Amino acid sequence: MKEKSVIQKKICMLGGFAVGKTSLVKRFVTGQFSEKYHTTIGVKIDQKSLCIDSTNVLLVLWDVYGEDDFQKVRASYLQGSAGYLLMVDGTRKETLDVARQLRTLALQTMGPVPYALVVNKHDLFESWQVEPEMYQDLASQACLVIESSAKTGEGVELAFVALAREMLKVSKI
Amino acid sequence: MSVEAPYSEILKLFDALIVQVDSVTQYRIIGVVPSWYPSDISPGQSSIEPLEFVQKSFFLQCFLPEAEEFWQTHNQGTLPSGLWSEPNLVGDENYLEATALVQDDQRYLIIRSYQSELITLQPVLQKAREDHLAHRHERDAHKHQLAESEQIRDDVTAVLDHLELAMVMIDENNVVTYASPTVRHVFGIDTQRFVGRLWPHVLPLTAEHIRQVQEQRALPEGRRTSVVLSLKKPQKSWLEIEIEVHDDPRDCRRTILFLKDRTEIEDLRRQLIGQAHFEKLIGKSPAMQDLYQKIQEIAPVDVPVLIEGETGTGKELVAQALHRLSTRKGMPFVALNCAGLTDSLLGSQLFGHKRGSFTGAVSDHEGFFEAAEGGILFLDEIGDMPLTIQTTLLRVLQEGEIIRLGESRPRKVDVRVFAATHQNLQDMVDTGSFRSDLLYRIRVARLYLPPLRERREDIPLLSEAFFGQARAVTSKHDVREISPDAMQTLLQYHWPGNVRELKSTFEYALIHCHGPHIQSSDLPQEIHGSPAVFVSPRSSTRDEREEILAALEQTRGKRVLAAKLLGMSRSTFYRRLSELGISPEECSQ
Ligand SMILES: Nc1nc2c(ncn2[C@@H]2O[C@H](COP(=O)(O)OP(=O)(O)OP(=O)(O)O)[C@@H](O)[C@H]2O)c(=O)[nH]1
Ligand SMILES: [Mg+2]
Repeated sequence: MKEKSVIQKKICMLGGFAVGKTSLVKRFVTGQFSEKYHTTIGVKIDQKSLCIDSTNVLLVLWDVYGEDDFQKVRASYLQGSAGYLLMVDGTRKETLDVARQLRTLALQTMGPVPYALVVNKHDLFESWQVEPEMYQDLASQACLVIESSAKTGEGVELAFVALAREMLKVSKI
Repeated sequence: MSVEAPYSEILKLFDALIVQVDSVTQYRIIGVVPSWYPSDISPGQSSIEPLEFVQKSFFLQCFLPEAEEFWQTHNQGTLPSGLWSEPNLVGDENYLEATALVQDDQRYLIIRSYQSELITLQPVLQKAREDHLAHRHERDAHKHQLAESEQIRDDVTAVLDHLELAMVMIDENNVVTYASPTVRHVFGIDTQRFVGRLWPHVLPLTAEHIRQVQEQRALPEGRRTSVVLSLKKPQKSWLEIEIEVHDDPRDCRRTILFLKDRTEIEDLRRQLIGQAHFEKLIGKSPAMQDLYQKIQEIAPVDVPVLIEGETGTGKELVAQALHRLSTRKGMPFVALNCAGLTDSLLGSQLFGHKRGSFTGAVSDHEGFFEAAEGGILFLDEIGDMPLTIQTTLLRVLQEGEIIRLGESRPRKVDVRVFAATHQNLQDMVDTGSFRSDLLYRIRVARLYLPPLRERREDIPLLSEAFFGQARAVTSKHDVREISPDAMQTLLQYHWPGNVRELKSTFEYALIHCHGPHIQSSDLPQEIHGSPAVFVSPRSSTRDEREEILAALEQTRGKRVLAAKLLGMSRSTFYRRLSELGISPEECSQ
């Protein structure tokens, strides 16, 4: 399944429900998008190979179900992750609070691994409720802050690649 | 490894993969292979080793270290992995959950498929989340709408406030439903407590004001007029409010009152009028402003006043203004023109006479001094007063007593004297025709009325006033205005007869005017600023025939221009031509 020269990295998709975790993975892996919401149960694992600065990397993407008041994310899902995408839905400011809780959980289970803060649904910018000042705390520790749209593809590739590059940098140290 | 019946049958029901983990690399399937297990042969049989299955699952790769730790640290119990799905070796996807089990040092890894359970479970969660999102969306939309309408309300309020439009909305029960912030500025009262109360209770209006507003409300919208009222504010200042009564366009049972603070406008209007008029005097030129100021200063001081100014400047109006502003207001104002009266007649007019004191004195007569008792005696053209009378007048002023002609008994009089003259009394003193001591007596205070030519800027204002008066007198209401051309003529004339002449000019013009505007040609001919030969005051004595011929010569026979030059209307000019027998040949010569 994996070549010797391929580095395998686990990335978790973390965020409140319906922020677009599944959509972002789908856009990144297959280039597709669907308006239809199909909530994720448990964790759905996908993979994507990349070549970053002439290193072959296999990204194993753990699309974890969205956390809400009834379903806390299982810490065990996060173990062994080299980094994560912390996702927020720009149109719902309360998803910032969920992101904060998940970041705390991530710190406890993964330690200080790199993460990218992804503010999604940028195509709906008109109805955005979040402003950069509102997520300064999350942004200050992130290796990248990006406004993305799974719908248009804006920022998607960049978010994954930049995080992967950062993870590689960390693993080399 | 096979399992004895009935356990094998029971395990089959669970459709689970049960692996006994003997060591990190030794995995044994116990019982039957579950239906979901990847197979390249046929269901129930497997060519894929459990170790390979585990090693090629990203999920289990992550779970195994956890399970390992659990097996090592526990004697019995289970550790579930949580649900996951990922493409398996043959590309199928399944929702699975792994459980690490330890029992008497025996380690097991049990993997179950939740695919069928999820078919019923997933929609429940899905529905819950979608509902949540929908409610949230709805709530946001409402919030947005609310914020929008609040914004609109705030904007409207701000606009109303900016326009200083105070607005009160009243429902069909006379209850206030809204009051704009400016209402507070207008009345200086808190509008917070307005809403929900009856409007006559909250607006600081009198019963009469309320009645007037109600009266307007009862009328149909088109027939209403605004109610203008003066209110006394607590700080003693007056407030001029205009109330416009409108129906609420959404519901005509409800009313909107617009309250406009007109105080400033009214003040300005008053100031404007105050500057252009003073008592009956008209003019806003600096010279007149100065005069108004002096009248106000002099009037209350109980001393004689000498009013100087050319004839026709309105000296008597100044005397009347002084009277009204003096402490003697309400007491008599008696005026006497001293010009053209003989010694004895003037003496008897002023001081009165006893029956038989001279021929024609058939009864006792009270003079003007006595008639003016307690008030004002205005002596116009005092320069024309004979020296003998001047002497008597001086004594009266000194002693405050008069003696009627033919009597010897003095009578006390309390009269304030205002005198007026168009002459230079100082020159007259020098030539001995006026008593210097009398001059000093009557000239305690002095006022000078400028001639009209020295305050030409007042001509339009005076013209409007006289035009209005003349129109009323002549009832020529269809004459609507003074043409710019006529005004130009008025402004250029030197007005030897001053305001009086201007006034009579309008009487003349109104009589002669036939259109809606007073034209230059409607003005008397002496007003026209043409060559001196025509405007000279003596021109009226010249032979008219000669004048007309001269005008025709000057205009090279153009009759319309000649008429204009002479200040005659065209029709008058033609009529005069035929009356004076001026032939067409003579015209064109
Ligand atoms: N307009 C727009 N819609 C998006 C975008 N990303 C996701 N969506 C929509 O948002 C809804 C949720 O997207 P998912 O990708 O299923 O969200 P999720 O974070 O995986 O949700 P859970 O699995 O329930 O936690 C779907 O209807 C998507 O079509 C985006 O960038 N723009
Ligand atoms: Mg999802």
